[in-house]
Amino acid sequence: MIEAIMKKESALNKMNEKTYLIERSKSLYQDAFERLLKDKAAVAAAVVVFFYSVIAILSSMGIIAADWNTEVGPSYSPPSASFWLGTDIFGRDVFTKIIHGTQVAMSVGLFTSLIAIPVGVILGAISGYYGGLVDELIVWFYTTISSIPSIMLIISISLIMGKGLVAVYVALGTTSWVSLCRLIRGEVMKHKNRDYVQAAQALGGSKLRQLFKHILPNVTHIVIINASLQFQIAIKSEVILSFLGIGVQSQPSWGTMIDDAKLELVGRGVWWQLVGATIAMFIIVLAFNILGDALRDALDPKLKGKN
Amino acid sequence: MLANGEIGRVSMKASFLFVQVFFCLCVLFSCSKKLDLSQKVLYQRVKAEIKGFDPIHASDSYSAREVSKVYEGLFEYHYLKRPYTLAPNLADGMPHIADDGLTYTFKIRRGVYFHDNPCFENGQGRELTAEDFVYSIMRLADPKNSSPGWWVLDEKIKGLNEWRDLQKTAEMSDYNLSIEGLKALDKYTLQFILKRPFPQFLYSLAMQFTSVVPKEAVKKYKSEFINNPVGTGAYMTETFNALSNKIVYVANPKFREKFYPTEGSEGDEERGLLKAAGKRVPFIKKIVTYIMPEHSPAWLSFLKGEVDELEIPKDNFDQAIAPDKSVTNNLSQKGVEVEVENALDVTYFAFNHTNPLLQNLNLRRAMSLAINRDKLNELFYHGLGIKAQTPIPPGIKGYDESYKNKYTAYNIQEAKSLLEQAGYKDGKGLPEIAYDTISTTVYRQIAEFFVKEMAQIGVKVKPNFNTWPQLLKKIKTRQTQIHAISWVADYPDAENFLQLLYGPNSAPGANGSNFNDSIFNQKFSHVSLMQDSSERTKLYVQLAQEVAEKVPWILGVHRTNFRLKHGWIKNYKGTEFKHGIEQYWDIDLDKKKELIAKF
Repeated sequence: MIEAIMKKESALNKMNEKTYLIERSKSLYQDAFERLLKDKAAVAAAVVVFFYSVIAILSSMGIIAADWNTEVGPSYSPPSASFWLGTDIFGRDVFTKIIHGTQVAMSVGLFTSLIAIPVGVILGAISGYYGGLVDELIVWFYTTISSIPSIMLIISISLIMGKGLVAVYVALGTTSWVSLCRLIRGEVMKHKNRDYVQAAQALGGSKLRQLFKHILPNVTHIVIINASLQFQIAIKSEVILSFLGIGVQSQPSWGTMIDDAKLELVGRGVWWQLVGATIAMFIIVLAFNILGDALRDALDPKLKGKN
Repeated sequence: MLANGEIGRVSMKASFLFVQVFFCLCVLFSCSKKLDLSQKVLYQRVKAEIKGFDPIHASDSYSAREVSKVYEGLFEYHYLKRPYTLAPNLADGMPHIADDGLTYTFKIRRGVYFHDNPCFENGQGRELTAEDFVYSIMRLADPKNSSPGWWVLDEKIKGLNEWRDLQKTAEMSDYNLSIEGLKALDKYTLQFILKRPFPQFLYSLAMQFTSVVPKEAVKKYKSEFINNPVGTGAYMTETFNALSNKIVYVANPKFREKFYPTEGSEGDEERGLLKAAGKRVPFIKKIVTYIMPEHSPAWLSFLKGEVDELEIPKDNFDQAIAPDKSVTNNLSQKGVEVEVENALDVTYFAFNHTNPLLQNLNLRRAMSLAINRDKLNELFYHGLGIKAQTPIPPGIKGYDESYKNKYTAYNIQEAKSLLEQAGYKDGKGLPEIAYDTISTTVYRQIAEFFVKEMAQIGVKVKPNFNTWPQLLKKIKTRQTQIHAISWVADYPDAENFLQLLYGPNSAPGANGSNFNDSIFNQKFSHVSLMQDSSERTKLYVQLAQEVAEKVPWILGVHRTNFRLKHGWIKNYKGTEFKHGIEQYWDIDLDKKKELIAKF
């Protein structure tokens, strides 16, 4: 009996030792990852995001939902065993359309982030690091952009570029970098007077080296948090644009489905397009929000140790 | 950035919704109107605020309808006859038209008096004369009045444009100058001389813009004339206040002897529309018009019997009309009846004939055959539209009910073989065709439908969505390949539809498809100068069918409107020309009391 207890204790001690060792050597990201794994909601959210991404990739490769445009049944048949979420005005399967809509939504999130993040990070970093006239110019530029109501800006960009998915990417990408730029600028300003940067300077590191090699890695967590929030904002905006008729054309999007539902719901009582598209959007937006929050909890040094 | 905007929008939406609900409730409670069952009172609803009571400013249909209760013109549309036919109103019979087709001489009805009004001597309305028409038409042309209705006479009457130009620089418009083409020959004779033959001229004299107004009233009320109507019509305003949401009319006690028509068209007798034949109008003593822009209060008021007739709000369509196109049980128990009105319009997908690809007749025919118009009708027009066989809609002379255009059928096999003859077997070698439309929900869905239908025969179509001005600009500059559009009649004459295909009218003119066929052009320019006759109707029918088979457009449907009315309204016939029709209606008070009791 005593032996058993002793064994257990020594095992525990060993474990503690192990944990201690790992804790000492782990980096910010390792630590964050572990903290993230402890948060069940965050894990669930990450799984949802992963699941949506897989669907989007499979759909874009034409493996699933490639036949969204085929007529599978009569117009407006309600949900049933053969059509899980019913059919739309042309007798197309609503469920398949939602799957294809996932591809559109995720691609908008991805490409928008791919445009907005580099722009925001580079402009923010330059502005924060160099200060002076450069800073003033960039601040002037983003205040100007942010003073224009974003929906108006997006509408005018998509009117100029012609409508379509690419216009949506560009419109959302070029309007959504401002907040990130602001954050990065502030953070870089804070970091540039820190000891390690001064040390780098003393060692003869060039300005670009100081900025990109030393400062930027220390503000990357902001980018990651921001990206996950950016993603869901882009998805929502795409839905709104498509609802207004200036977004995605000639392929299903959650926004156009909700737009269709506008006419179907009251007169005909066709609720399944609205419900399907809304739930699909709700889940992914919620997942990104939870994930974004969890990432911030995990990555932000100021919040460390609070849980 | 966007996030902030979003949150703002959501909360704005929420508060907007709240305001809307609140507003609806307010309107609902304030709408509990007291019904007057002691006399014949008609309760109506108008959808928009009206632009006052000046005929030359009543450019929208809602204002025009209200104005036409008070004011009259030389002509009106025969209340019962279909196709729509002009009937003399203030004119005493049809005009004498000289052989050159330019000089129109009218006799004015004698014994017509203006409403009693303080603007006249002793407040007694004076007799109408031919001079009043001269004055009213000059008023329409007067640049100082900037009437939106000037287009109906622009470049039509000899000397009128010149007079108009002269007044543009003058300090005061001079109504004493004589105009060659617009003269009162004596007290009861009016003469127009046109610049060039235009048989459709008479229709402009049935429009509200050319209604007759007394110069005394304009002189007395000046800019307030718009709120102080003085006409010759069956009704006069009892209370009208531009700020109020209610207009009350009373029957004109001195209205001339005017009688309900004694002849109608097929089926009118059976429907009891001729029971009042030969009786003196108006029957209804008072009209109350509520200005109710919102659909829901209007619908609820109608259900309570507080509004006597109503255009069915889109959202309530399924509550009102059963799948078999009759009124639903709920409503029929209340004695509600439905009246179908054929809109004088045609929807179509126009080909741009300046595009070499689309000059291929077999290709056009193949595309036309690939459209399932039954489905189009079912999906987008509640299955109530009439499939168009030619550009001319029913209700207009030149429409032939028995005619079936073989290229408006749905026949995929035939379409495929025609496509092969066109040189594009299964669409091979055929470039993608652009389809321009506007970006509203329904037009987007129609575009999707069109793409799907064309895909069946291998024709690839790419939809472009535009704002309305963008689309118009593209059409006017001939940049489209196919565009979806519709045409609503300016006047009920086939000429108004056939001119859409007349070569010299090509874009930027009304012929947005730039169809230019020398045989058609020649025949059209001949028939468009003819006065109304059975011979002309025959030519219209023939010409429309000939051109329809050349498939200048892919024809869609002629739309229909539905109106509901309560069982106590009698002599009610649906019409696209609603000017002054209330004078022919009657109310069965006993029936109203009986039905209202059941509500």
